Amino acid sequence: MYGFEALTFNIHGGYLEAIVRGYRSGLLTAADYNNLCQCETLDDIKMHLSATEYGSYLQNEPSPLHTTTIVEKCTLKLVDEYKHMLCQATEPLSTFLEYITYGYMIDNAVLIVTGTLHERDVQELLEKCHPLGMFDSIATLAVAQNMRELYRLVLVDTPLAPYFSECITSEDLDDMNIEIMRNTLYKAYLEDFYNFCQKLGGATAEIMPDLLAFEADRRAVNITINSIGTELTRDERRKLYSNFGLLYPYGHEELAVCEDIDQVRSAMEKYPPYQSIFAKLSYGESQMLDKAFYEEEVKRLCLSFEQQFHYAVFFAYMRLKEQEIRNLMWISECVAQNQKSRIHDSVVFIF
Amino acid sequence: MSGQGQRLNVVPTVTMLGVMKARLVGATRGHALLKKKSDALTVQFRAILKKIVSTKESMGEIMRNSSFALTEAKYVAGDNIKHVVLESVKSASLRVRSRQENVAGVKLPRFEHFVDHGAGDAKSDLTGLARGGQQVQACRVAYVKAIEVLVELASLQTSFLTLDEAIKTTNRRVNALENVVKPRLENTINYIKGELDELEREDFFRLKKIQGYKKREIERQELAAKMFSEEQQAEKISLKKGISINSAHNLLEVGGGKDEDIIF
Repeated sequence: MYGFEALTFNIHGGYLEAIVRGYRSGLLTAADYNNLCQCETLDDIKMHLSATEYGSYLQNEPSPLHTTTIVEKCTLKLVDEYKHMLCQATEPLSTFLEYITYGYMIDNAVLIVTGTLHERDVQELLEKCHPLGMFDSIATLAVAQNMRELYRLVLVDTPLAPYFSECITSEDLDDMNIEIMRNTLYKAYLEDFYNFCQKLGGATAEIMPDLLAFEADRRAVNITINSIGTELTRDERRKLYSNFGLLYPYGHEELAVCEDIDQVRSAMEKYPPYQSIFAKLSYGESQMLDKAFYEEEVKRLCLSFEQQFHYAVFFAYMRLKEQEIRNLMWISECVAQNQKSRIHDSVVFIF
Repeated sequence: MSGQGQRLNVVPTVTMLGVMKARLVGATRGHALLKKKSDALTVQFRAILKKIVSTKESMGEIMRNSSFALTEAKYVAGDNIKHVVLESVKSASLRVRSRQENVAGVKLPRFEHFVDHGAGDAKSDLTGLARGGQQVQACRVAYVKAIEVLVELASLQTSFLTLDEAIKTTNRRVNALENVVKPRLENTINYIKGELDELEREDFFRLKKIQGYKKREIERQELAAKMFSEEQQAEKISLKKGISINSAHNLLEVGGGKDEDIIF
């Protein structure tokens, strides 16, 4: 019943919504970013960050600081916040929060499978996994030799099990199929998440599908552009597009037959929200497309905070935090590599 | 230098002189050739040095660009794109092979890279399919360029070192020829010539001496012959007068000797 969440939401979700809004106010502002962009060395960055919410995490790092350390610690903060929220949550919020991490789980699973295929050490692979995507039986992925075993031994117990029905048909685990497998899984995940949100009803069912649709469309465009000129056939490309979103189904038809970027652009220009993105790019250039997408995403995520009593704020917060960590990584790398002139190319201001 | 005044210990004969002269000619020609070789090598050396300097400068720039391309890829495709790519590699598709090049007689190693298509090149095209694929490919291109520059730099540096060695050796040989071998040979030749001259002088002197003796001998004989002929003349005259001076003389002298006719 849309519109009446104010009556009942705060019973179960009020505390966590307040927490997440608190976290959101701790995100770095434009002024912080300006300060960070002025830094000359990584130690300056550390000093500036210690004045923000990241202070306690970076304090104890020894002096020759590395960019990867900064990123690690920031991710650690994100993980801590997430875990805090997860353990305070009740149904259905806890399921919702878990859904957010399935994307990372897919990445981790694919990473371990690829690594095992090329005979790498399991412990090393585990260290490289994203902390938000860890699940208990992840180490046993290394034992599997082909898809069926993989599914039977490990994945059937994880929440990822239903996503595998679409790609269980391929028996071989070679490199081409792994990337397709990853994208097929992600497509199934997005659709599942979409349906779940619809079921939740209320404001969540209004806002989340919008955000997820943007994600699906963005992936469709990226897949199209990145598969131009590769061995990916049109049908395979079609299969990787999600079954929802602004582009479904007609946009997908057009994208599936695109062979270069200008065709993609002409296909996209029929949809007003994406037309404005593509208008920022000059002809033939696609380097800035990713940044334009990030900016658009951030805009939409911020808008979701305008409404109250829905779960999309959690999703939005996680994504915004990810973007912030990306910004920090970019700034630290530019400072460390002495490329200060390029720093403003890719920093997306959140507020 | 200790070698200046030395010479080889040889028997100072004419053949030896011929041999030494031949060796000197050989040494001179060798010296000229080696000097030319050294000059050619030095020219190459300088050229390589210049190329090394310019390549190193460009390498700094290129490495910077490739690191930055990696950062861009990480930004767009997520931080663990590095791990994803690393884990999906089986064997290197960009390889280096070395071959020998002959520069002015010196064998220089040269490295060149080639792409081994069999090692699964195409599959990495799909990395970052959903996001960041473009940046990953750009990063790849940047790093391939960096590898090219590095391979070239490596090959230049090894050539540099090898050439350096070769030039040092050649110069050592040139100097050795110039300052040790040739003077020694020249000294030996001079010594042999000196010895031969001395022998000739000795011979000459001996000849002269013997000529002197022979001359005196002839003079003596002439004198004796002259005296004899004078005696003969006197005998002839005395015989005419009925006296044989010679035989008178002879009789008296021979008297002490055995005469069969005379018993007592």
